[in-house]
Amino acid sequence: MLRLCFLLPLLATALSSCTPKSKVAREKHPLPAGVDTSKHEIGRQGGVFIDSTPGEPSTFNPLVSEDATSSGFIGLFLDSLVHNNPVTQEVEPGLATRWEIAADNKTFTFHLRPGVCWSDGHPFTADDVVFTFQAIYDPRFPNRAAFDLSVDGKKFTIEKIDDLTVRLTTPEIYAPFLETVGGVGLLPKHELESAFRDGSLLKAWNVSIAQKEPRRLLATGPFRLRSYQPAERIVFEANPHFWRADTQGVRLPYVDYLVTKLVKDANASTLAFATGQTDAEGLSPDNVAWIDQYATRYGFSVFNRGPSPNTGFIWFNQNPGKDASGKPFVPPHKLAWFTDRRFRQAISHGIDREGLVRGVLFGRGQPLWGPETPANKKWYNPNVTQYPFNPARSMELLTQSGFSLGPDQKLRDRLGNIVEFTLNTNQENQLRANMATAFKENMRDLGITVNLSFLDFGTLVGKIQDSYDYEAGMLGLTGGGDPAGGISVFSSKGRLHQWHPNQKIPATPWEARIDQLMSDQLHTLDYPTRKKYFDEVQKIMSDETPYIYLVTANAYVGLKDRWKNIRIPPLGSLVWNLDELWTPLITP
Amino acid sequence: MTLFILRRLLALLPMLFAVTLLVFALMSLAPGDFLTPVKAQRDINPALIAELQKSFGLDRPWYEQYALWLGNVLHLDFGYSWTYKVPVAQLIAQRAPATLLLSLTSLLLAWTLAIPLAVLAAARPGGWIDRITSAAAYFALAIPEFFLALLAVWMAARTGWFPIGGLTSLDHDFLSPSSQLLDIAYHLILPTLVLGLGGVAGTLRVLRANVLDVLQAEYVTAARAKGLPEKVVLFRHVLRNALNPLLSTIGYAFAGLLSGSLLVENVMNYPGLGRLVYEAFIREDQFVVLGSVVVGCSLLIIGNLLSDLALAWSDPRVRYGR
Repeated sequence: MLRLCFLLPLLATALSSCTPKSKVAREKHPLPAGVDTSKHEIGRQGGVFIDSTPGEPSTFNPLVSEDATSSGFIGLFLDSLVHNNPVTQEVEPGLATRWEIAADNKTFTFHLRPGVCWSDGHPFTADDVVFTFQAIYDPRFPNRAAFDLSVDGKKFTIEKIDDLTVRLTTPEIYAPFLETVGGVGLLPKHELESAFRDGSLLKAWNVSIAQKEPRRLLATGPFRLRSYQPAERIVFEANPHFWRADTQGVRLPYVDYLVTKLVKDANASTLAFATGQTDAEGLSPDNVAWIDQYATRYGFSVFNRGPSPNTGFIWFNQNPGKDASGKPFVPPHKLAWFTDRRFRQAISHGIDREGLVRGVLFGRGQPLWGPETPANKKWYNPNVTQYPFNPARSMELLTQSGFSLGPDQKLRDRLGNIVEFTLNTNQENQLRANMATAFKENMRDLGITVNLSFLDFGTLVGKIQDSYDYEAGMLGLTGGGDPAGGISVFSSKGRLHQWHPNQKIPATPWEARIDQLMSDQLHTLDYPTRKKYFDEVQKIMSDETPYIYLVTANAYVGLKDRWKNIRIPPLGSLVWNLDELWTPLITP
Repeated sequence: MTLFILRRLLALLPMLFAVTLLVFALMSLAPGDFLTPVKAQRDINPALIAELQKSFGLDRPWYEQYALWLGNVLHLDFGYSWTYKVPVAQLIAQRAPATLLLSLTSLLLAWTLAIPLAVLAAARPGGWIDRITSAAAYFALAIPEFFLALLAVWMAARTGWFPIGGLTSLDHDFLSPSSQLLDIAYHLILPTLVLGLGGVAGTLRVLRANVLDVLQAEYVTAARAKGLPEKVVLFRHVLRNALNPLLSTIGYAFAGLLSGSLLVENVMNYPGLGRLVYEAFIREDQFVVLGSVVVGCSLLIIGNLLSDLALAWSDPRVRYGR
């Protein structure tokens, strides 16, 4: 037994030293005629980049993917016509080198990058683009992109002009056209056409095929799939046909392999980084302090990305409807409070947001006053109405609305009802639960009794979207990106217009105004005009406060110091330019 | 005999029906459904949600969904996973080998360690081997499996002697075939110990009692009187007769082959069926859960049948059928 104890550590060191140190031989292919030259620092080929992700990809097929994990992996190997650069928030050339917009603002002509090949060496042409759009619009294959790529239910038309030119036409002017097209991973016609014909396209490129025949997942992006071990890891390797190179003509990406460990949950993922096992990890504010202690031991640094695009807010149920048995969703006297703007504003003034930032986020965040956070540089409106912590102002507003504080220090409305409501939030999010508790304390100072109810996420969504049987809710939404993404929240018809969803006609004049603005901004391509409309939406949201915005946490990224040439975007993936990343130290 | 086997297999059908019906009803009672996380995303079109609901059959009452599923099962179609868009059978087959491997190694550990120890302990009741093994067995039986798993993970993280979870190293793909085998063996040590220790203790206690019983038998006295070496008496004559009752526990071991390690797999990050089923349950990916329930129940019935047959084969006094 003693001998065994000696043997085990020996075995461990023997195994860990098996890592390939020699240079990995890559397939050599000539650079395409339309090669894109990276303007960044010149690096060296080699190295393995390791990260981890909670959960599993559910598919490698972009028509099936509905979750961020799967879409993230698909984005590594399937490229699109254009890219949305999250650092500048501008649209950049991708598989199309340039594009023209016709005078009608509805016709877009894309010129494809010449000489690009799929990872199997087959040329990439306009046929692949046309095939992709055919597949997306085919009613046999219901998918998310088909809805993103249509205006008022009408599809875009696509035609091939020649092998390297395609023309897309939208039925109406559609503002986020380029951003939306940027997200569409183009599919290889020569590989998937048979599945398209026999109707099995949604079954193509599933996890089973990825495990058995990874090479069939053809790539135009910087990486191609090398192997997939369910519940263990995904290994991508440099795509030897990728269309970018550095100024010396060395093909990108620099790294040989991209290994993603698949772990059980976010805690396991954070732990893997904190113990030096992975190269990059997104960190939440409450984890930064303890992880930073290991920075020198494992050679990493923690970067502050600035405010995250995540918003947190409280809202009151303003739905005037009744359930099947004729009972109102909200008792009428409470509905009268909730639909009173001054009541909502008073609540907002009564929240100590600085205290929330200090106490819950350890100072790593900032107060939030509107639907967009400063992370969304392109669309954020800083000039919205703010409600700084001011209980005296709260009482003033409440008095104007007929509320009064009784001798028992309890707030009553003009009919003498004690002001009390139940706030529902989901139990899974610890930071949110802490904020709910702090909110309860703040409200007690105004004489308002708040009961907290922590529910399972499924139950909470059921209450908010189906039964409407609740008084107040607290949730968060990930904002960022184009205003078009927020239509379901801002528009009164919207499904996520949570205080009163799915309205037939707008219940209030200001909701009608928002509907008009959201529709107007969608039908012009002119950025300043759109910005003006969306600024007004943000202003109205802050004036009327249907959502009482709380705070936004900062986002953090931990990265091993051995990586050079890093661009960390404020939004989206941890590292924007994986293909340009390089390391002078090759061994992991 | 054939009649007996047929009858046992037929009994499988009502049981599967009852168990799956129960699981289905319970899952439909749980709040939310598979599409709840999708509904909470702000940029998903309501028309797509409606379409998905229809294609999954989630717009119908649960008993109708169950009837549809049952109808497909009669045609041996266990449905497909909503998450992965892969047939359930294929998904289970993808994950089963890892779980099977772990179950077999821990079973092997339990038997190879427990049998000689039990015989040696029983040979001298109250001797030092007996005392140490008994104490160790009580200790092992007292520690819950998941706690042992947590301890093992903590130990691995502290010492660095063992990998923290998984079945293969990051560089597994780049190793030579022999190193790959070594790599897997190295990763198996901890989970096998955690899962096998309870088995060692249980088997040890049962077998020790049996051996003690058999030692009282007259033929043992006869063998000893004949002058046979003690080793032969213990391991040829006593052990063979003492093993009989253990054969009936094989059935349970068989049933646990695919489901017994669910807890340990989840704690130790082991890439087997346990994690798949757990995640499917959390996501309410119904057919994957039902598929694994069907597999678990079938294994239990078949395992019991096998142990009955083994008993009949080893002990001529046991007869089934008429």
